[in-house]
Amino acid sequence: MRVTKSISALTVVAFVLASCGGGSNSTTPVAVSPPPTVPPTRAFNVPAQESLSVADVQQVMAQAITEARARNMPATIAVTDRVGNVLGVFVMNGANQNLRIPNAPGGVSFNRDLQGFPGNLDQFPGLPADVPAAGAGAIAKAVTGAYLSSGGNAFSTRTASQIVQQNFPPSPNAVGLESGPLYGVQFSQLPCSDLSQRFGGPAMIGPKRSPLGLSADAGGFPLYKNGVLVGGVGVMADGVYDFDTNILDVESKDEEFIALAATANFLPPAGITANFITVDGTSLRYSDATTAGFRGGAAPAFSTLAGTVGNLVAVNGYSAATIIAGSAYGSENSGIRASTTAEFANPDAFILTNGSGTNRFPIRAATDGAVTTQPITAAESRALLEEAFLIMTRARAQIRRPLDSRAQVTISVVDTFGSVLGVVRSPDAPIFGTDVSLQKARTAAFFTNVNAQSELLTNPTPRIAAMMRTAQTFFNDPNAFTGRVAFTNRAIGNIARPFFPDGEQERPPGPFSPGFQGFSPFSVGIQSTLITENIAQHVLFILGASATDTAQRCTRSPDVIPGQNRLQNGIQIFPGSVPVYRGNVLVGGIGVSGDGIDQDDMIGFLGANNANIRLGAASVGNAPLSVRSDNVIVPVTGGRTVRLRYVGCPFAPFLDTAEQQVCQGR
Amino acid sequence: MAIDLSFLPTFAVLSSELAIMRKNGLDDIRLEASLTSILGASELQLSSIGGPDEGETTPAETKSEMPAAEPIPSFPVGASSDDIATSNLISFPEGTIAQVPVKLAVADIRQAPQLAVPLVTAVPADEAVGGPNDTALPDSFVPSFPPGTVPESAIQTPDVVVAPGVSAEGALLDGRRRPGDEKALPDPVVQTNIGAVRPPPPSAFPGDPEFPIPDRFRLSSNLGLARKEKFLDPYNQNTFKGDKPICIPTDEEVARRAAAGEKKCRTPKILGLKGDDWFFVLTGVSDTIVEPRTFPIPVSVQTTERPRSNDVFGKSQSLVLAQTFLFGAALIKGQTAYKPPDVEYRALLAFNINYVNVPERRVLSVKPSKESNRFDYFLGVQELFYDVHWRNVSDRYDFDSFRFGIQPFQQDFRGFLFNDNQLGVRLFGIRDNNRFQYNLAAFWRLEKDTNSGLNAVTMRPRDDYVIAANVYRQDFPVVGLTSQVSVTLNINREKKQLELDDNGFPVRPALLGTNRGRNYDVTYLGYSVDGRIGRVNLTATSYAALGTDRNSFFTDQKAKIKSFFFAAEPSIDINYLRIRLAALYASGDSKPFDNVEGGFDAIFENPIFAGADTSYFIRQTIPFAGGGRAVAINGRNGILNSLRSSKEQGQSNFNNPGTMLLGVGVDADITPKFRLTGNVNHLWFENTATLQALRVEGTIPKSIGYDISAAAIFRPSAIQNVVFRLSGAVLQSGKGFRDLFASAQRQRRFYSVLFNATASF
Repeated sequence: MRVTKSISALTVVAFVLASCGGGSNSTTPVAVSPPPTVPPTRAFNVPAQESLSVADVQQVMAQAITEARARNMPATIAVTDRVGNVLGVFVMNGANQNLRIPNAPGGVSFNRDLQGFPGNLDQFPGLPADVPAAGAGAIAKAVTGAYLSSGGNAFSTRTASQIVQQNFPPSPNAVGLESGPLYGVQFSQLPCSDLSQRFGGPAMIGPKRSPLGLSADAGGFPLYKNGVLVGGVGVMADGVYDFDTNILDVESKDEEFIALAATANFLPPAGITANFITVDGTSLRYSDATTAGFRGGAAPAFSTLAGTVGNLVAVNGYSAATIIAGSAYGSENSGIRASTTAEFANPDAFILTNGSGTNRFPIRAATDGAVTTQPITAAESRALLEEAFLIMTRARAQIRRPLDSRAQVTISVVDTFGSVLGVVRSPDAPIFGTDVSLQKARTAAFFTNVNAQSELLTNPTPRIAAMMRTAQTFFNDPNAFTGRVAFTNRAIGNIARPFFPDGEQERPPGPFSPGFQGFSPFSVGIQSTLITENIAQHVLFILGASATDTAQRCTRSPDVIPGQNRLQNGIQIFPGSVPVYRGNVLVGGIGVSGDGIDQDDMIGFLGANNANIRLGAASVGNAPLSVRSDNVIVPVTGGRTVRLRYVGCPFAPFLDTAEQQVCQGR
Repeated sequence: MAIDLSFLPTFAVLSSELAIMRKNGLDDIRLEASLTSILGASELQLSSIGGPDEGETTPAETKSEMPAAEPIPSFPVGASSDDIATSNLISFPEGTIAQVPVKLAVADIRQAPQLAVPLVTAVPADEAVGGPNDTALPDSFVPSFPPGTVPESAIQTPDVVVAPGVSAEGALLDGRRRPGDEKALPDPVVQTNIGAVRPPPPSAFPGDPEFPIPDRFRLSSNLGLARKEKFLDPYNQNTFKGDKPICIPTDEEVARRAAAGEKKCRTPKILGLKGDDWFFVLTGVSDTIVEPRTFPIPVSVQTTERPRSNDVFGKSQSLVLAQTFLFGAALIKGQTAYKPPDVEYRALLAFNINYVNVPERRVLSVKPSKESNRFDYFLGVQELFYDVHWRNVSDRYDFDSFRFGIQPFQQDFRGFLFNDNQLGVRLFGIRDNNRFQYNLAAFWRLEKDTNSGLNAVTMRPRDDYVIAANVYRQDFPVVGLTSQVSVTLNINREKKQLELDDNGFPVRPALLGTNRGRNYDVTYLGYSVDGRIGRVNLTATSYAALGTDRNSFFTDQKAKIKSFFFAAEPSIDINYLRIRLAALYASGDSKPFDNVEGGFDAIFENPIFAGADTSYFIRQTIPFAGGGRAVAINGRNGILNSLRSSKEQGQSNFNNPGTMLLGVGVDADITPKFRLTGNVNHLWFENTATLQALRVEGTIPKSIGYDISAAAIFRPSAIQNVVFRLSGAVLQSGKGFRDLFASAQRQRRFYSVLFNATASF
């Protein structure tokens, strides 16, 4: 009896133990921005329409100038709004106006694309050893801070550096692991993009282009006002435009301290900075600079600084020598606004607008009827976008705080010509994904196209054709890229990495990569080579060396119809797209960008899948199983084989169900 | 249960004898202990399989649980990112059933020498000294004693007379008791011997009362009582098993042998052995493992084994085959019995061959192009020490001793904190007739081989140090219970290291959070008990881990470590059954981004608890897919959800979700050759905040699920030398586990099968 009692007593104790000790929902580690309060019929809350005033921009600049002066490191400071309008560029007296890009890891002889700029005469003939392009660098950094961030995540250029290199994260102990999840994102928002807007265009509409794409050089941060993302600030001071190859150390860069100081009073809400967000368990890096390292004190009024310690300057194609107020994201004026019911059924959706109330990319039927027997109909475009949007609404975000936020992305659908059949996004999706989703959609549609091989072989840039020939050898298939294999962005990314398979050291590169000695975020292979001429032309325009800016149409890929090629904003080489088929026939592509790459993949893949279910088997959907890239077996040395992954969907993907493996068997 | 204190004097004698035996070449016994710990387990208790009901003592009175005293290797342990192919050889994970007193003594001997783990808690004197009924030892037990080390009387088989009409079950030997079986007490013996005279003491006789025997080791053979020695027979007198002293090639001995026409003395002169009483003990063990299992296996990010692998998880079936050979030798100077040895040299090498097959890429190697199977082998040094008996401090051989080199050490009764074979120096000893024991040790941890878990002595030792002190006190606070107080300091200085394991996965620092290296200092304050309270056996351990992590991977700031652990296993013996409850609580971290780390992690756990490696969750490593690359939820042969890169090679991690367990189990000694064990445990994370932060997933329930396991142990000859074990376990995943890892809607169940065959010499 006594024994029984003791045992039951123990049991009770044990159960008490089991039931106490913090529940799974007792987490909230730090104060984060208040959980979204969403109108009953909406899944997303809409960011308040906040914007940077002229005084705000002046304050940001004054704060940067103060820190720069304390460091005796005169700097170039650029401020943009959330959609990329440059609100002012300030150059301090004595600031290093150069912008040099490091050589390839293997040395000068491996320099390609932007590497070694401006001394890389191959790409930039006629440029002196130093060029005053710091303003362009500062703008790219500010754009990066603004574009990568949102109300749920604050990312900096240092965050960008961490996710675009050959291993994730770039550090000695991750050697051998896969590449950064956003490998290649730096070649988006290109100055030649047909989606991105330009300075001097209608009103303040965005998203605006960036002179050098996105930046991985520390010194670019987002700016928040009243807890709402309103823009970004970028600082160039050391004349070098590079990236961080090792996140284990703590870099001390004046540029980053100056830029971080600039964000005072415009800080992101607590708990959403990159360091609270993990990817595969590795937390992202917001800043190596800390407020404890600030040397400057309180900033004086901007009026006491302008004209004495430096001046506002004009940057060709971006800014006049003035400060302007930013647009309020979400307003018609910003170029991105809520859709009307007529534009898109889902009341949560945002679309791109022309500043005069017209949807820039209304949902429409395909334009490739001349070559496609049964092109995508408008109803099908709509179904693809709606179904993908629905998946996004259900998806758990990978990069947003608080935990269990919904994923927010931009979704683009194209036909085989690369013509846009529609672009929709969630209210607070990061801006960068707008251009990137279109790049991805076009990339999948292009490489799956029957003409991909010939268009690459006939590309006027010789190295493009050379890479295509390398690919033919690589696949041991003279007919590679002739429409027999469905390629997603994930699959193309697999063969555009400095090691194949990705991350495996000492293996030769994929055919679309320059290899490890030639790789840096400034030269990634086919992606950067396709648009280097555009950037070179644009840089000369910025520098005033040429009066002609690059066309609003990237790449020298052959025209599919007069005045249009398939890759008019470049390609993208990280996951987030699928080609769209009707039966066995390629009819287009769907691209997704803005959250984790697995979420991006899933939204596009399940979007296409569900559109097919909704509209019937004869309608558009995913590629047949038998033609997907994961059937391709690439032999590598040692008798091993490697498949090209098609998509990779995330764990615990949905907020509304506990489903797993949601892409299996589809 | 009340203990008659009048037993104590006699018991004290027993204790000192035990102490002597312990120090005297009981290497076979020690081997078992070694294996146990090597295998991380408690197969010591195999000896008890023989029959719980033969014992005089109630189970509660016996030392129920072998605290696998010398955790020799633990090599089996661990699986780094996925698969170490070794096992805890045979382990009787759970409680042991009480045995006869002599057996108890053995158990004590096994543990005591190395660890000074407390001895028998209370043995009634008449049992301990071997009354007539004590001689009925189970057959199974006998082999555990190297011949010559057990009193002859102890191994005689008693005459069992079964009266006609009485069933075998009813025919209990006179004086024996079966747990749970209450019989009427016999009438008290009242001595009435009026006029009796006390016999004279020995001192009453003039002259030397002793009768010297020049070579007692050869007495039995000279009398024709022993079989002729055979090298391969460890059961009869065998010089290679330490039953007889080896010859010393002095000129005198060489001459004597030549004159007597005996074989030459082959002991190498180069050893420079002097004096008598040198013993040599060889050890050989073969351990074979076949282990099919399933666990949630993520597909490779870069490429997949099969097409249409569109999601995070792939197939889950996997197979481990492993063969380990242990070779050991010891050279001991002493008397093998009655007195602690003076000197001991000991070496134990383990050669492990392992093969693992998994269905997905980048599980066994960081290289995704590699095939998804792996063959590997390794030779590890699991023991290499010099033990010197410093001094005796009482007539009953209370002593102090030093041991230098690679040696087993286990900090608590069940191996929750530090149970490993490591390079160190240890001062240990006993007092008060062995009722008080102490250890003071310092270790410099050796690097482990990734795929075998064995000590890699050719690699630079880790910058990790353990200083451990403990004291044991028997019958404190109550009779029958042994208390242990311990302080363990773990000093880690691996901040600047970048260590990849043999498969290319980073192990230090782990790929978690900021990925930056870190140092930490943590002090474990421990209190444990083991023994019984009344008829309830109880073993319990508690720790507070306090200290500083110089760089929390969540914040890159210094953080306080403040975490707690408690585990208890009460059990009761009923006839041939032992019924156990298990409860464990290890705190988890509730606020990842603050400056307090509240997750409990051990230094090197090898817990013998809740089914040990029989149970699914303790045996199998679950990769933390999506939350950390090359990071596992738990370690192989580990119970703590510690989110380490590797139990063997990784640093302790106090940013973890913690663990809770409630379980019930039963051990059934069906026959002396056959034991069945079953366990049902339910596990939880204590707090999933860290998991949520690392997965960026806000709602992760706490429940891991039900872990249901059964094991059968078969000893065909009823001896320890050949043992087979087959165990199977199923994890019926709970909400939390499914949320994290369910690889498909239909797959909510994971299994682990472990077949293990051990043969030892």
